[in-house]
Amino acid sequence: MIRYLSRRVLLAAPTLLGIVILVFLLLHLAPGSPVTAGGESSRRVSQRAAEEMRRTYGLDRPLPERFGKWLGRVARLDFGESFVDHRPVLERVREAFPYTLELNGLALLLTLGIAIPLGVAAGGRPEGPLDRASGAMLFALYSLPSFWAALLLQALFSIRLRWLPLYGVVSDSAPPGWSGLADRLAHLALPVACLTYGSLAFYARLVRASVAEARQADFVLAARARGLSRRQALWKHAFRNALLPLITVLGLVLPGLLSGSVIIERIFAWPGLGRLYFDSILSRDYPVVLALSLLGAIATLFFTFLADVAYALADPRVRDGTIE
Amino acid sequence: MTPGVIATRAGGLWRTLPGSGRAALVVVAFLWLVSAISPLASRAASEIRLEDRLQPPSAAHPFGTDDLGRDLLARVVAATPLSLAIGLTAAVVSLVVGFVVGSVAGYFGGAADLVLSRLVEVVLCFPVLFLLLALAAFLPPSPATVILAIGLTTWPGDARFARAEVLKARDLDYTRAARAAGASTPRILLRHLLPNVLAPLLVSAAFGVAWAILAEAALSFLGVGLPAPAGSWGGILSAAPAYIEEAWWMALFPGLALFLTVSAYNLLAEGLRRASTEKTFA
Amino acid sequence: MLGYIDESRQGTPVDGGVLRRRLVGDPGTLNAVLQSAGPEQEVLAYLSRNLLDFDSGMNLVPGLAEKYETLPDGRTFRFWLRPEAVWEDGTPVTSADAVFTIRRIQDPKISSPVFKPVFEGLEAVQTIDARSFTLRFRDFYAYRPMAFVMPLLPERRYAGKDFARARENRFPISNGPYRLVTWKSQESIGLERNPKYWGERGHYDRVIFRIVPDDAVAYRVLASGDLDETRIDTSGKERALSDPAVSSRCRLVEFYNLDYNYIALNNRSPFFSDARVRRALTMLLDRGRIVRSIFHGSARVISGPWAPDSPAYDPTVTPLPFDPAGASRLLDAAGWKDTNGDGTRDREGREFAFELLVSAGTTVGREIDETLAGELRRVGIRATVRPMEWAAFIERVDAGDFEAASLAWSASDPNPDPYLYWHSSQWPPRGLNSGFYRNAEADRLMEQARGERDDRRRLAIYRQLHRIFRDDAPALFVTNASLKYLFSRRTRGLATSPVGLFGIWPGPLAWWEETPAARP
Repeated sequence: MIRYLSRRVLLAAPTLLGIVILVFLLLHLAPGSPVTAGGESSRRVSQRAAEEMRRTYGLDRPLPERFGKWLGRVARLDFGESFVDHRPVLERVREAFPYTLELNGLALLLTLGIAIPLGVAAGGRPEGPLDRASGAMLFALYSLPSFWAALLLQALFSIRLRWLPLYGVVSDSAPPGWSGLADRLAHLALPVACLTYGSLAFYARLVRASVAEARQADFVLAARARGLSRRQALWKHAFRNALLPLITVLGLVLPGLLSGSVIIERIFAWPGLGRLYFDSILSRDYPVVLALSLLGAIATLFFTFLADVAYALADPRVRDGTIE
Repeated sequence: MTPGVIATRAGGLWRTLPGSGRAALVVVAFLWLVSAISPLASRAASEIRLEDRLQPPSAAHPFGTDDLGRDLLARVVAATPLSLAIGLTAAVVSLVVGFVVGSVAGYFGGAADLVLSRLVEVVLCFPVLFLLLALAAFLPPSPATVILAIGLTTWPGDARFARAEVLKARDLDYTRAARAAGASTPRILLRHLLPNVLAPLLVSAAFGVAWAILAEAALSFLGVGLPAPAGSWGGILSAAPAYIEEAWWMALFPGLALFLTVSAYNLLAEGLRRASTEKTFA
Repeated sequence: MLGYIDESRQGTPVDGGVLRRRLVGDPGTLNAVLQSAGPEQEVLAYLSRNLLDFDSGMNLVPGLAEKYETLPDGRTFRFWLRPEAVWEDGTPVTSADAVFTIRRIQDPKISSPVFKPVFEGLEAVQTIDARSFTLRFRDFYAYRPMAFVMPLLPERRYAGKDFARARENRFPISNGPYRLVTWKSQESIGLERNPKYWGERGHYDRVIFRIVPDDAVAYRVLASGDLDETRIDTSGKERALSDPAVSSRCRLVEFYNLDYNYIALNNRSPFFSDARVRRALTMLLDRGRIVRSIFHGSARVISGPWAPDSPAYDPTVTPLPFDPAGASRLLDAAGWKDTNGDGTRDREGREFAFELLVSAGTTVGREIDETLAGELRRVGIRATVRPMEWAAFIERVDAGDFEAASLAWSASDPNPDPYLYWHSSQWPPRGLNSGFYRNAEADRLMEQARGERDDRRRLAIYRQLHRIFRDDAPALFVTNASLKYLFSRRTRGLATSPVGLFGIWPGPLAWWEETPAARP
C-alpha cells in the first residue's frame, strides 16, 4: 500500500506542473493587462504609457522566461507581490483565508451534521414517510441555483423582513469579542445557508443510498437476529460500512465547496479567497491569480489523495498490494 | 444495435421509469415544446418600452416587465431554446470527450493511461472559474464559447467512468476470446461495451444536461456568459440584483424557469438510474 | 433647476462625533502619487493637503503653498510653502518634499495616472530655499495652474526605499487634519485627528470609512443608521423619496457635475467615417425619453464633449433632435440602403452590422445601449450590445479596437481643454483620442485655444468648437446625469461643486455633526 500511495504522490507533481503552466498561459494570453485593468474609466492611460508600464513590470519578457522566474521564486516559497497594492501575495492570501475557512468550515460541519443523521434515518426505512418527504426536499435543494437562492433569501430575510443583515462580516456598531458573536452569526447565516444546501442535498442522498443498500447486507440481518435494535444495527453496522465510500466522496465535496464559495462570497461581499480570486482575475493581478490557482490545485489534489488513502485502507486488496 | 432494438429498449425504459421520472419526462417534453413555439415570443421579448419599465405582474404582463419595459414572460420563453440547447450540447460534448479519453486510457493502458489520467487530474483540479473567465475574456461571447467552456470542464467525470468500464470489459473472457478469434479492438468495445454502458450513459447525460444548464446560467449571471438581449435565463437574472428592492419579479420568474428545468432533468436522470439498476438486479 | 449649495459657513459648527462614510472599494494604495481610483481620493482628502486647492466656486486657493506667482514668461511658477506646514511626525514640509514628489511623478518607472499627464510638459524644477521652489514648463498652457492641485510626499520617509513597495503606502504620513489609525482590508478604514496638524482642525473626532461595493446594500446600511452618507443612483433616489423612514432621517443632496455618458465611435471604420452616418446615429437615440424614463428627469441631454456646467459649453448649441425619418434620409444619402431586402442596410456588399461594446458591470450604460440598438434595428442597422469584462474592454478601447463603445467621461477638475481627447495628434497608441477623430478645422481651433492667454477669447473658441462637435458628431454624446447622495440630516456643513463633494477645499473637512452622540 505504501507503494501505491507514494506512487500517487509522485504522480501529483506532473499534474501540478500541468495546471500551473496552463494557468500561466491562459492568463497571459487573455486580453487586458494589470497596467490598465486596475483603474477606472476616468483614469485611462495612453497605449504608449501602458507599454512603458508593462516594461517596468517585466511584462514584455518572453513567456518561458517569466514562467521560469516565477517557478524559481515559488520553489523558495516566494509568491511575489500583488500588482494591485504591491503587498506580498501571501499576506493577502493570509488575510482572506480565515474568512473562507469560517464560511466553508461551517458549511461542512452543517452538511455533515445534517446529512448523516438524515441520510441514515431515511435510508434505514426506504420509501418510508421520512424518506419520501426528505427525498423530495433534498431533490429540490439539489436543483436550486445558488445565486438565485441567494437573491431570494436576501430579498426575503434582509429586505422584506429585515431580520438579517444584507452583506459583510460584521456591523460597525457590534461590540467585539463574545458579545459580538450574535452579530457575526447573523452575518454568517445567509452565506452559510446558500453554501451548505447544495452539498447537503448531494451528501444526504448519498448517505441514504449507501445505508439503504448496506442494511440489506447479511451482516446487518445477522446483527438483528442477534437481538440488536433496529437503530443499533443501523448505526453500528450499516452506517459503518457505508462510511468508507462517504469519506472518499468527501474528498470531492470539499473542492466543490471552495469553488461554490466564489459566487457566494461575491454576492454577500464576503472578503474570502473566492472573492480575492475573482477580483484578481478581473484586474489581471497575475501573481495573486497564479498563487491561488496553485494553492487551490494543491488543496484539491490533497483532498483527493486523502480520499484515495481512505479507499486504500478500506479495500483489503489494495492494502495488501494485490492490485494497484 | 438496430433501430428495432433501440425502440424496444426505449419502450422498456418508459415502463420501468418510476412515476417521478415519467413526470420529469413530461416536463422536459413540455420545455421542448415551449422552445419550438418560442419564436412567437421574440418580438415581445425585444420590444423596448421605457415608459413601461419595472411594472409588476398584471394581466397585460403576467410576469411583469424588466428594466427596459420588455415583457418578462416573453423574455423567459424566448430564452428557453438557447438555455436548453446549450445545456444539451455541452453535456454531449462532455460525454463524447470524456468517453473517448477514458476508453483510450482504459484500453491501451501503460503510458497512454498514465498521461491521460494526468490530463484528467489536471482538468479536475483546474480552477474552473478561472478557465471560464479566461475563455470569456478572449473568445467572443457566443453559445459556442459557453458550450466549450462547460464541456471542457466537466468531461473528467465521464472519462473516469468510461475508463473503469473499459478496464472491466477488457479482461472478460468474452473479449479475450473475440480477440483470439481476430476481431478488431474497436469492434469488441462497441459490441460489448456499448450495450452495458448505454443506460449509465443516459443517466450521466441527463445529469450532465442539468449541470450544464446551471453552469451556463451562473456564467451569464456573473456577466461572462451570453450577452443580452439574445440571452438565456441566467442573463435575464444578471440584471435582477440591481432592482431587487423594487422589482422582485425580475429575480423570481427566470429563476423559477431555471429551477424547473434543472429539476426536471435531474429527476429524469434519477429515474433513469433507478430504472437501469433495477433492470440489472432483475 | 438644480444648483450648488455651500453650507460650510452656515451655523455654528460643533466639534465631536464619528463620521461614517462609504467607499465603493478598498483603496489599492494610500500613496497620493500612485492613486488611481475614487476610494483613494476620498480617504486621502483627510490625510494629504494639496499645494493649491479648488474652492467650491472652482477658484484656486492656497493649500500647502501659501502663495504662488506666475513669472512674466508665462511658463514658470514660483511657490512659497507655509512655514507652519508640518508632517504628522512634526517635521516641516519643505521644497525637498515638493521636488521629490514631482520627480517621482515624472519617473517613467512609476505609474501615476492622475498626475503624470499633467506634468508631461515640465522642463525644470528648482529649489530656491527650504520653503520655496520654481517649476518651469516648456510652454504656456492656460490651465497649467490646475496642475498644482497636487499632493506632496515626505521625502525623508521614502529615501532609500522602493517607492512602490514602501510601508508608507499602506501607513501614510499625514500632513492633513487627520491621520490613519486602522485599515482592515476590504472592511474599513479608521482615521482620527492629527494632533500635529497646522491648520484649522476637522470637526469630527474620528472618521470611519466602510467598504460597501454594492449600491443596494449601501442604501440599506444607511437606512438602518450605520452610515452617514452614500452615493445613490436614480432608483435609489426614488426609493428614498417614497420611504418615510429614510426620508425622515436623511436628506437628498443632488447636483450636476461635469461627468457625462457618451458612445465613442471609431471614425476610421467604414461605417462611421462619414459624418452623416454619425449624425444619423445621434438622431436615432431618443435622449429626451432616456432622461425621462431612465433618469426620471435628473439628467440633461448634451450636444458636445462637455457637461452644461462647463464654461466651454455653449447653451445655444442645441442637441440634434430625435428624428428617425431624418436619420434614415441621412443614411440613404450616405449610401446605406437595403439593396438585398434582408432588412439590414448595406453598401458595396458590406452589411451595416457592428458591435457596441459596454463594460459588463454597468446598468445604466447597458440600458442606454440597448435602447439605441432597438431603435437602430428599426431603421435597418444591426447593432449588437456586447458586455465585456472590464480589463478586456478597456484594453480594446485604449487601442481604438472597436466600432462603438459605451463610455463615461469623468472630470476631476474643471479643465475644458478637449485637445488630449479629440485632436488628431492624439490617436492611439500615443494618446487618448481612441475614436481616431480628425477634423482640420477643429484641430486648428484646439491648438489656438491652448495658446490663447485671454480667458474670454479662449472660451469663445471653445464655443465655436462646440458647434463643430455637434454637427460633426465625432461620438454620440448622451447625457449629463446628476450626482445624488443621501446624507444623514445631522451631517451639516456640506458644499457641492461642479467637480463634486470632494476634490474641493474645505469640502468634507468642513462637515460637522449636529449634537454629536457618544457612539463607540
